Amino acid sequence: MVDKLNRREFISATAVAGAAMLLEGCKSDANEQKAAVPKSSLNTINVALIGYGEEGKVLLESLLNIEGVRLVALCDIWDYHRGEGERYLQKLGNQVHTYENYEDLLAKEKDLQAVLIATPDFWHAPMTNTCLKAGLHVYCEKMMSNTIEGARSMVKTMRETGKLLQIGHQRRSNPRYVFTLNRLLHEAQFCGRLTAIQGQWNRAVKEDFGWPKKYEMPASMLAKYGFKDMHQFRNWRWYKGLGGGPLSDLGAHQIDIFNWWLGTTPKSVTASGGLDYFKNHDWYDNAMVIYEYPVESAVARAFYQVQTTTSAGGGYFEQFMGDDGTIRMSEDPAICAIYREARATAVSWDDLAQKGYVKAKPVAADATKVDVRETAALAEYEIPVFFNKPPHQPHLENFFNAVRGKGKLNCPADEAFSSEYVIHKANEAVAAEKKINITDEEVRA
Amino acid sequence: MKILSRNYSLVPVLVVAAAAMAQDKVPLKTQLPKPLFVGTPVPLNVPNLEPPLKGKRPDFMIPAGSVNLAKGKKVTASDENPVVGTLDLVTDGDKAGDEGSWVELGPGKQWLQIDLGKSANIYAVLLWHFHSQARVYRDVVAQVSDDASFKSGVTTIFNNDFKNEVGAGPGKDQNYVETYQGKLIDAKGAKGRYVRFYSNGNTTNKLNDYIEVEVWGKPA
Repeated sequence: MVDKLNRREFISATAVAGAAMLLEGCKSDANEQKAAVPKSSLNTINVALIGYGEEGKVLLESLLNIEGVRLVALCDIWDYHRGEGERYLQKLGNQVHTYENYEDLLAKEKDLQAVLIATPDFWHAPMTNTCLKAGLHVYCEKMMSNTIEGARSMVKTMRETGKLLQIGHQRRSNPRYVFTLNRLLHEAQFCGRLTAIQGQWNRAVKEDFGWPKKYEMPASMLAKYGFKDMHQFRNWRWYKGLGGGPLSDLGAHQIDIFNWWLGTTPKSVTASGGLDYFKNHDWYDNAMVIYEYPVESAVARAFYQVQTTTSAGGGYFEQFMGDDGTIRMSEDPAICAIYREARATAVSWDDLAQKGYVKAKPVAADATKVDVRETAALAEYEIPVFFNKPPHQPHLENFFNAVRGKGKLNCPADEAFSSEYVIHKANEAVAAEKKINITDEEVRA
Repeated sequence: MKILSRNYSLVPVLVVAAAAMAQDKVPLKTQLPKPLFVGTPVPLNVPNLEPPLKGKRPDFMIPAGSVNLAKGKKVTASDENPVVGTLDLVTDGDKAGDEGSWVELGPGKQWLQIDLGKSANIYAVLLWHFHSQARVYRDVVAQVSDDASFKSGVTTIFNNDFKNEVGAGPGKDQNYVETYQGKLIDAKGAKGRYVRFYSNGNTTNKLNDYIEVEVWGKPA
């Protein structure tokens, strides 16, 4: 049994009665994409984790909090990380089999129902396809692949095998995101007509990942798994052919929200970026992107920037702006806020507050002192839904619920493909230095 | 006249003593590691959290002649088989936040102890947990004692374990976010040969990580 140390998860709706029930009401009850699954003992789902780097460790911490799921196998090509994971799990009373090679894992593990894949992007497609064909459900971290073709192949295999494939855009299962989308954006039409979207991920300069010299992998091992050297292995995100650069690594989070919340994909993308700062990377270190979305017979433009040289400008968020109001969302609740234009009269703040959709923020003492030459500050409210689980946990829970046939995947591979396709196109636009049009046909897997 | 003479003679002593004390303090100087950030920032929901340090930490004054007594000293821990790394990493002078620079003790309540070799007067302790991510380690306690078992003569120099989870008594110090600058603890001259640290996992996982500890003082 996994020890439930420091388990402090809860969902709460502060100062607003019934908000938690609203969350319940936001859940989909569709019967699509449920799956019959062979039962392991006591209805426990036996899971393997492939990849125990930074992201694999993040997934593990969420996994340890989820009832009815047991990690039985761990795979990583680096024995340093593999041993680390094994010892950690042993101390928690969880014995796992460990493997260097995922194909060996699949050959030897006979009582397995699902696999989590958290490896470098260029390995996602072959691993996912092999696992699906082996009869396993798969949770694969985003991006699906570093290539469009790889991603498309994953959707094809999912359909052919009938197995579930969830892609790790975890915000799609975040209760705050789900609540805000369904209650504020859709039901309350809080923003009015959407006219612009803005998103970013600004991150400070950071050194490349290092490694303990005495634990270096042999060159032959690195080459076997597609890496030139240890530096490339540890920093694969920055290398073309292995990952998709910062728009893929960071930008995919926000751009997926653009697509998900708008319910459509853009018709064009224009982008600029450059390898302007780091000297030993393949991919550019900054990019600025403009997407044009069709909205109500008009166009809403979305601007996105990713910076890896500054943490200024408020971290990471997605901001949906309309003629009645603006919603700024982030995985970090401290960044979230909602603003309402003075012209908005269809729905009052009081109505929204009484429904538990918003909560007023305390007004600063001098907030009402407005210079007549300036626009008055917009009324600021906050979203009254809070949860204290690790950010990836709800998305994993959604996956396992679907595996049990108790829910629908929030981000199945075919939907993820459409969303991620336009991210690949942004990279193309950076390289081509021109506007690229995107058709409805090509975004479908 | 005799009384006046006595009062007069005290003044130079106080002035000299005060001057001597002022001249005897110097800023604590240590080399800091590079800032390093890993992974997606995780929102922190931790009570009683110390406000983040803005910019460089102000100089902390310690008596002249103080040295890092912990450098190269023996380290023991409640976990004799760490998840990763070895205990000697804690006093090897390497404060980097990269792989291979830290020792990771198992989940839950753990302690780590440094033997300074002889009793000392300790004025400052610098503690680096894993600092490549904005984490908060839970229930952090730092103690000094001449008793290796910490059963008698224990001086607590830091304690933010307000629920007394690790059993060292409830503390009132604030939780803090790890940074490359480490946690500076004012030890106020506490006397002891051993320095022990407790923690109880962190906001990212259940593990307990130590990159480096410096103990600034003078042999007693």
